[in-house]
This record gives sequence, C-alpha cells and structure tokens, in this order.
Amino acid sequence: MAHLAHYKEAHPLIFVVTHWINLIAMIMLILSGIIIHFPVLPFLTGIARGCHLFFGFVLFINCVARVIMAFFVKTAPTGGTRQQVTDFKTWLPQKDNRHQALEWIKYYLFLKKDHPLGAKLGVPQKISYLLIPILIVLMFWTGLCLWGVTMNVPVFAATTNLVGGLMSMRIIHYFGMYVFIIFMFIHIYLANVEGFAPTKLMFIHKEHGGLVYDPDLHNIVGEDADLH
Amino acid sequence: MENQATMSDFDSILASRGVTRRSFMKLCAGIAAAAGLSQLAVPRVAQALEESVIGATSGNLYPVIWIEGASCTGCTESFAQVETPDVASVVLDMISLNYSETLSAAAGHSMEEAKAQTIAAGNYILIYEGAVLEAFDGNALRVAGETGITALVEAAESANAVVAVGSCAVNGGWMAAAPNPAQALGVQQYLKKVGVATPVVNVPGCPVNPEWVMSVLVDVVVMKDMDLLVNRLNEFNMPGDLFNQTIHDNCERRGHFENGEFVYEFGSKEEEMGYCLYPVGCKGPQTRALCGVTLWNNRRSWCVQSGAPCIGCCEANPNNPGDNWAEVNTPFYKRMRDLRIGPLSLQPTTIAVTITGIVAAALVVHGFGMKLSGRMDGGAPFEKIRKWDAKHPDQEIGTYADPVAGGPVLDDELLQKNAEPRNND
Repeated sequence: MAHLAHYKEAHPLIFVVTHWINLIAMIMLILSGIIIHFPVLPFLTGIARGCHLFFGFVLFINCVARVIMAFFVKTAPTGGTRQQVTDFKTWLPQKDNRHQALEWIKYYLFLKKDHPLGAKLGVPQKISYLLIPILIVLMFWTGLCLWGVTMNVPVFAATTNLVGGLMSMRIIHYFGMYVFIIFMFIHIYLANVEGFAPTKLMFIHKEHGGLVYDPDLHNIVGEDADLH
Repeated sequence: MENQATMSDFDSILASRGVTRRSFMKLCAGIAAAAGLSQLAVPRVAQALEESVIGATSGNLYPVIWIEGASCTGCTESFAQVETPDVASVVLDMISLNYSETLSAAAGHSMEEAKAQTIAAGNYILIYEGAVLEAFDGNALRVAGETGITALVEAAESANAVVAVGSCAVNGGWMAAAPNPAQALGVQQYLKKVGVATPVVNVPGCPVNPEWVMSVLVDVVVMKDMDLLVNRLNEFNMPGDLFNQTIHDNCERRGHFENGEFVYEFGSKEEEMGYCLYPVGCKGPQTRALCGVTLWNNRRSWCVQSGAPCIGCCEANPNNPGDNWAEVNTPFYKRMRDLRIGPLSLQPTTIAVTITGIVAAALVVHGFGMKLSGRMDGGAPFEKIRKWDAKHPDQEIGTYADPVAGGPVLDDELLQKNAEPRNND
C-alpha cells in the first residue's frame, strides 16, 4: 500500500455536498448546452434552455459559496492526517509542495519512479483546481452576455463588443464547455487511476486506511492500515 | 365652383401622386411608430409633414447629399425600388436630393458644382452608402479628381448629421471581410480618426431597409428635432427601437422554435411546414434588427417568411470592422462561423472535438503506462526524500529519518496525533 490514508477530514461533508452539486450542475449544463447548440433532441429544447439557466445559476452560486466557505471551514492540509487548518490555506502554496512542481510532472511523464511527497493537492492539481472557479465565472459571465434577458445590460453588451460580437461570444462560451469536458476527463482519470479510494471519500465519505503523514514534519510518520 | 369641395395644396400634391388622404394618415401613423412616438403624435406628424418645408408648396426642401463609398449601390436600389407612387416615395420626393451618383439625372461638372454649393450653404444631411477605403494611399473611389475619403470628409464636416446607410457604411460590411485588402472601415470610425465631430447615425443592413432610413430622416427632416433622433440611439449610434432586439425576439417562426419544431434540411417536410430555421444556420438569435416587424418590399415579406434563414446582415459594430456581418456569419447555413488557422477554415466544433479527442487518447495511452508501471494499485511508492531536500540538506523542508538518505519518521505519538478520530464532522 503506497498511498496515504484517506480521512474525512480532507473533505468535510459540506464539501462533499458542493462537489456533488458541481458534478450534477456541470453534467446538466453540458447536456442541455449541446441540445441548445444544436437541437439533436428537438422535443427537449425548451426544457434544455430552462435547465441550462437554472444550473448555470446553481453552479455559479455553488462556486461563490464554496469560495466563501474556504475561509470558515477547516480541512486537512495534507493527505494521511486528521489535523486541520482553515481550508483556504490548502489552496495557497504549502511548504509540503515546495520545489515539487517539476517532480509531479516528471512523475506523470514516467520520468520519476517514486511518488512525490506533497500536500493534499499536488502542484499541477492545485493550479488546475484554482482555474476552475475562474472558468465558472467566465462561463457565467459569457452566458449572461448571450442570454436575451441580460444581453443588453451595458456591462454585458460592452463585454460582447470587446470580444467582437455575439458570434465570438457564442464560440467562447462553446469552447469553455470543452475546457470543462477536458478538465473532467483528466480529473476523473487521475482521481481514479491509482485506486478508487479518493472517489469513495469524495462521493460517499468512505474512509480508507493507508500511510499517515505529519503536516508539521512534512513526512510520513507511520501507517494506519485498519483505520482507527 | 363654390359648392365644390376643395383640397388643400398638400392634398393635391398627394392626389397628383395617387396617394389618398387615408393612406397619408397611415403613413403618419407609420412614421410616428418609426420615430418612436406614441399614436397620439400622429396628428402632430401629419401637421409637420403638411407644414414642413418639405411638404410646403413654397420654400426650400431639406437638402440631402448622398455619396457612394465602396458600395454595390444596393442600398440606393433598396431605397428607390418602390413600385407604385406610394407614401414612401412622397416622403422621398420631399427631400431635395442635391447630389447622388446613382439617382441624379445630372452628371459631370454641373452636379459636382451642385454638391459644392450645398456644402457651402450648410444645413444639410449627408447620407453615406458603402465602406470607407483607406488603402491605396487613400486613392480609391476617385470622382471628379477627388478621392473618396476627401469627398467624405468635406461633405461630413459641414453636415448637420451623417447617416451611414447599410452595413458597409456602418463598419465596412463585407468590404471589410478578411483579408480586407482595401482596408475598409465604417464612416463613424473614420470620421473619429480624422477628427470630424459631426454626429453619425448608423443604419445597418444589406441592403438597408428603406423604412429605417425614412424613420431617421423623419426625425431630422420632418420633425426638425435632432433630439428625437439622438434620444433613440443606442451605444452603436443606431436607433435603439430598430436595433436593440434580435430577429429571434420578433420572429414569426418563434413558436416553432419554442415547440422544438425545426428544419434540418432544405427540401424536407419540415421546411414545407414552415418550421424554425435554427439548425440550418439562422443567425436570428444573435442579430439585432427589427426585420420581422418592419418587413421588406413595401411591408410584403422578409427573409424568414420567404423561407431563408437570417444571414445576420445587420451585424455591424461601428467601432470594429472585424465584426462585419459577412465574416462573423459565414458559412450562412452553419450554426457558427468558420475560424481561420493559417490557410485552414475550420468550424469551432471540429477544432474543439479534435483537441478533446487528442486529450482523451493521450489519457488512454497514459493509462497503459500506469498499468505497465504498476501504479494502478495505490500509485508508486513514496519517495524517501524530496529531491530538493536531498540536494540541500541545510534547507530541508521535511524532517526525515536520515537527512540525506531520507525515509519516514516512524513515531507512534505522531501517528496517534494524525490518525486519531476527532468529533468535528
């Protein structure tokens, strides 16, 4: 067993909920978006448009709520520990990750044999997760530029002019969907390729034993195979 | 004879053109609507028309100079193609079209002189049709020894307002489509560039709808009220009542869109049923114009009614020639425009699906790598020590069993500290 123990403290229940909301909203947005882009299922176009708007707001509000909660909820700074810090600190550069960015990339490219030591989120992982809220806001904003109800609001109309008109805006919004899809492919792949323990923890809050890591020593201090 | 009803002078003008009083009042109602006035203003419009210098039997008609830029004269054609002497033509005859390359009977020196005199006298409207061309050292569109851009600047400087008719005049239109060798741009942008402050009113369309131009002229020429016009303008200096809503908002086929009834192929049963043209590339949802309400050809029909998807000919940002309708809306029968990558013209879907496919394939290949390297069951074993720490023992991040060789610090107390359950969830 090479991985760290997966404790609930890494992802408190509220973040399991926000993750579920993210998943459902993104899938619904992608499916309804495809139907809106081209009416492959014509009888669903009306419903798809309603869904798209609803889940667009759900995703945005969930994103804002998640970011705000990062300043109040405590989570584990690394895998393999039940110790906790305020969540936003796990999104900033952490000492556990220092000088490890290249090591992570080398590991994924099979240029490094052993698994890098690190924080709860590895360096490329943390960077890509941090881009997601930006992408969500971008999608929300471009969506409002396209939505008939808000398209003439000066700030959205100005954005539309900035990118060269509604057609360009439409294409940006459309490409944004593929960025989500590509992110989901990579995310799902990397979260599960070394075992399903991280997924079980994130979706059903099921813990899994493993190595124990001390965030103060920045190193492994033992093993908790059977879970306490 | 005294016992015989007499008509006013104005009515006799109308009668001589085959226009009844009734249709004249209908015109006034149409004008009031076009000018963004309430129906209560109809008598005011009628009075203005009757009493204006335009309709009066004596006095000067409001002078208008109509200059052709880089145009196909389609907008002039659109404006002039009124089949019967209807009310629109009366209004047209009420302006004094002092100069028009296409419509003026005169030609040559005398016509250029008429233009020069009109400009010298001032108090006129300049209608500019077609794009402004900056390339060829500004030598394009030379008429009577004068280049196109100097003719524009000269006429615009003394005008009360410039009306840019048609999408070409608004932002270059299809003249400005890539690679735009003539460096076409719109009137507003060009005049701003050369420092001419005359207000520009933009009326896009390919061609422009004559009734839209008329509604602009009505505000200035008939109502003599520049504020009426200025208050109508949106951020593009287009009349907001004409260009703030999309074609889609007012489309007669909107019901089919809402019902999910679409035409996927021309010549199909669905097309026969008059279903929504969205899947065959209708640009109605992103094109702002009032075509579906104003209609064309004497309010007879319009593109969608005749079975064609909207090709978005009114798309024109006056400040951005790149946002010209031909470039952003082609291919016309596709949902999205083509994107150019070098010599290639590709649909956004092709680009996006290709990239997504490459990523997916790369992940599959990577997965085989993970399998072969035995990492699928929990990943590779952890490194004994961070590479940085091994190289810089004096600046170590982690604490290891051995400062150089590394290794976990096996400690029961620390194990308890980190693994002990707590009641916080």
